[in-house]
Amino acid sequence: MPGASRDGTIDGAEEDPPHTLLPFLQSQSQNTLTRLYQRPSACLSMFRLLPPLDRQLVMNLLWLESAVPAGTMGAWVTRQGRKLYDEALLNLSRLHILPNPSVKLSLNGMFKTSLRQAVTGGGNNGSFGTAALKDDKHPPVSIEVLDTYAVERWETILHYMVSSGTGQLPTKPSPGVLFLLQRSGLMSTVHGSALQITSAGFQFLLHSPHDQLWQLLLQYLHMAEEREMDLVEILSFLFMLSTMELGKEYSIESLSVTQKAMLEDLRDYGLIWQRRTQSRRFSPTRLATTLTSLLPPLPTATSSGAGSQDQGFIVLETNYRLYAYTDNPLQTAVLNLFVSLKYRFPNLVVGSITRESVRKALANGITADQIISYLSTHAHPQMRKNKPLIPVTVQDQVRLWELERNRLKSEEGYLYTAFASQADYEYVLNYAKQLNVVLWENPAKRCFFGNLEGHGNIRGFIERRTGGQA
Amino acid sequence: MDQPSHISVILDLSPSQWHLSSLPQNPYPLSLKSFLAQVLAFLNLHIASKHENTLAIFGAFPGKSVMLYSSTDPASDSSDSGSPNIYRPFEIVDSRVVTRIEEELESIDDSQEEAPIGLVGALTKALCYINRIKHPTPSTQSNGTTVEDPATLPDPRILILSVSPDLSTSYIPIMNSIFSAQKLKIIIDVCKIYGPDTVFLEQAAHLTGGSYVYLERRDALLQHLVMSHLPSPALRKLMAVPTQDKIDFRAACFCHKNIVDVGFVCSVCLSIFCRPVAVCTTCRTKFPMSTLRRLDAYLPRAAKQANGTAKTSAPPTPTATGLPSTPR
Amino acid sequence: MKAIRGVLLTCDSAVKQILLTINEREGNSFIIEDLDDHHLVIKADEEYRVRKELEAELEKNTYSLEG
Repeated sequence: MPGASRDGTIDGAEEDPPHTLLPFLQSQSQNTLTRLYQRPSACLSMFRLLPPLDRQLVMNLLWLESAVPAGTMGAWVTRQGRKLYDEALLNLSRLHILPNPSVKLSLNGMFKTSLRQAVTGGGNNGSFGTAALKDDKHPPVSIEVLDTYAVERWETILHYMVSSGTGQLPTKPSPGVLFLLQRSGLMSTVHGSALQITSAGFQFLLHSPHDQLWQLLLQYLHMAEEREMDLVEILSFLFMLSTMELGKEYSIESLSVTQKAMLEDLRDYGLIWQRRTQSRRFSPTRLATTLTSLLPPLPTATSSGAGSQDQGFIVLETNYRLYAYTDNPLQTAVLNLFVSLKYRFPNLVVGSITRESVRKALANGITADQIISYLSTHAHPQMRKNKPLIPVTVQDQVRLWELERNRLKSEEGYLYTAFASQADYEYVLNYAKQLNVVLWENPAKRCFFGNLEGHGNIRGFIERRTGGQA
Repeated sequence: MDQPSHISVILDLSPSQWHLSSLPQNPYPLSLKSFLAQVLAFLNLHIASKHENTLAIFGAFPGKSVMLYSSTDPASDSSDSGSPNIYRPFEIVDSRVVTRIEEELESIDDSQEEAPIGLVGALTKALCYINRIKHPTPSTQSNGTTVEDPATLPDPRILILSVSPDLSTSYIPIMNSIFSAQKLKIIIDVCKIYGPDTVFLEQAAHLTGGSYVYLERRDALLQHLVMSHLPSPALRKLMAVPTQDKIDFRAACFCHKNIVDVGFVCSVCLSIFCRPVAVCTTCRTKFPMSTLRRLDAYLPRAAKQANGTAKTSAPPTPTATGLPSTPR
Repeated sequence: MKAIRGVLLTCDSAVKQILLTINEREGNSFIIEDLDDHHLVIKADEEYRVRKELEAELEKNTYSLEG
């Protein structure tokens, strides 16, 4: 699905950005990853997160006993695919799935064994989770209950974020969640006051639930690193959850100590459901079981359960008017970030996109692309008939409003001027260019502007030089 | 490009052909059992690739065709608790397909064993199935809240794993299936596992943009399946899959169902005949006697070829390569 | 040679003219160096205030229906 990627740029339609988790995994040591690859469920989930060409390469190599010369595999690649192919090889080698791809291609032995085991079944490491025995007193909870629970938990977090600083006092999420929000820079306190949403937080609100979830989990992983929890245990538990079946109960007996400790956090995020905090069994919610699917199937029900506003609820007209068929306070609050709301009915909110409302959003750090992508992902099915989906006038205007704010770019630094000679000037300028710190130069005036980072070096350079001359 | 995909797999499960295939005097004997194990691994990989990937499996048995599994079916057997060592969807596919095949094979009695293989039936069922999931009916739309946009269901594929030889009687239905597939933008992939090349399936793969693989190293079945038939059409643009360099375009005549090198084509409805006829049996057009007499001059050669062995060295000629449109 | 600490502003020429006017009005209070049509160097601690001033100046020239 094309849309705004993390840095706010529109990405190409044919190339999806890689999954958020992959860079994190690539930064892990070979030892960590190899331990992770011992678990078939982790291999299976990771395999799913890979881009399509990477997946195909892994499958091509999966059933081969011996290594393939790099040229043999390369012969299958079309000219068009060459660039992507090289990227895929690099990507896989960084994940230590494909060591030394320049000469011979052969999968990491542990990864190969585990993925084969995942595909063909067998083995006895129980990495897909042990189902709990039937409990006659308490039948497993229904999928509806799980969905409602997950949505309730998740929306509590988002709602808390969106209404911070507006004076309302929504339900507070648990301290663990608050800490995570603060650590991830989505919310912050200004000298001891209550938590306030940051500009990163505002951007976060406009992402898809799937992206939001991974963003938080990634932060969780970073925190775990600092707490010196075992990353392999955490990752493999998350991966295990993603392969579990919705609506089933699993036993906590086979979990490790670290994993048992995670249960509370995951409960707070709405990933798993437990009857009681001390329960010996747990059920994954839809948030957990869809972790490795890229098209985000939201937990479908919303607070009302009416079921109409799950996918699209926004109708936007060319006159900047916006009709949102929703009674969900969270969705209304998110819209309120960049729409000036006029009327509210039991199932409908009417407002318009104005210069003021968009400027307010921009001031909060939300980009025009994010606004447009939010509108298009949540467009009402009726609007999907329009081509283009979002009226061009509105799209362009929102972008223009953003440009208008950015008429002035500024960068702090030092202006170097009054050089004794042209040679002197060029000598220093060359050095500064090597450091890649020059922002502006004018040989006629014999001056240039360098950024702040370069100053120490440049000063040292000049001092050394004049010192040498003296 | 990373979109969910759908594969409908058609398994040719002719007991007699599989018996022949497993005989040790073959260069690479392959039994039905090891075939199924490899196919299931292949199907699991398809499901593994993406959470949203869908799958349907059809079996072609002597004289009948059966749907063995489809991922849109609500999972019925929730009774068993599931093993902690295998991903649940794999377990469901594997156990369902194996039990269904066993049931079907056991129900075949000796009288049916020699019946022609129900490949066309399976192909038609697969087409109907894909048509249904491409165009969800209003009833499925109302209870499933996601309104399925037909444009988002990309490039469904059919994979035929064939062991039986061509049945010349099935020429017309296969051609009709090909046309439906073209219309629905379905790619038909063919993997010929045992027996001689089949002309009709070669054409099916060629005309729908699929790949036809004649499996020589049958011990490498899984590797072939993964490399040639698993990539989605978008991926095939980046990594080539084997295609057929020469395709046998011969058609079967409508009158005697013989595969012909040179045939006579009705100028109105494009029906193909192995010898000149006075009245077209399909559209009832009468041909003038003078034309018939002229055509009869060709007859000795044509008739000889039509009745000769199916494999003649003559290259396919344009008259014979003509693609007949659907007979009315 | 000398190095002067400041903030490099990159803008279009219209904005630059407005900045020059503001600077003149305030008695050359913040511009250190006028580099070319699109670049100015101003005192580092004045940036926030200058942006506010510019904003106010630009705001005088926008009209909105919702008013």
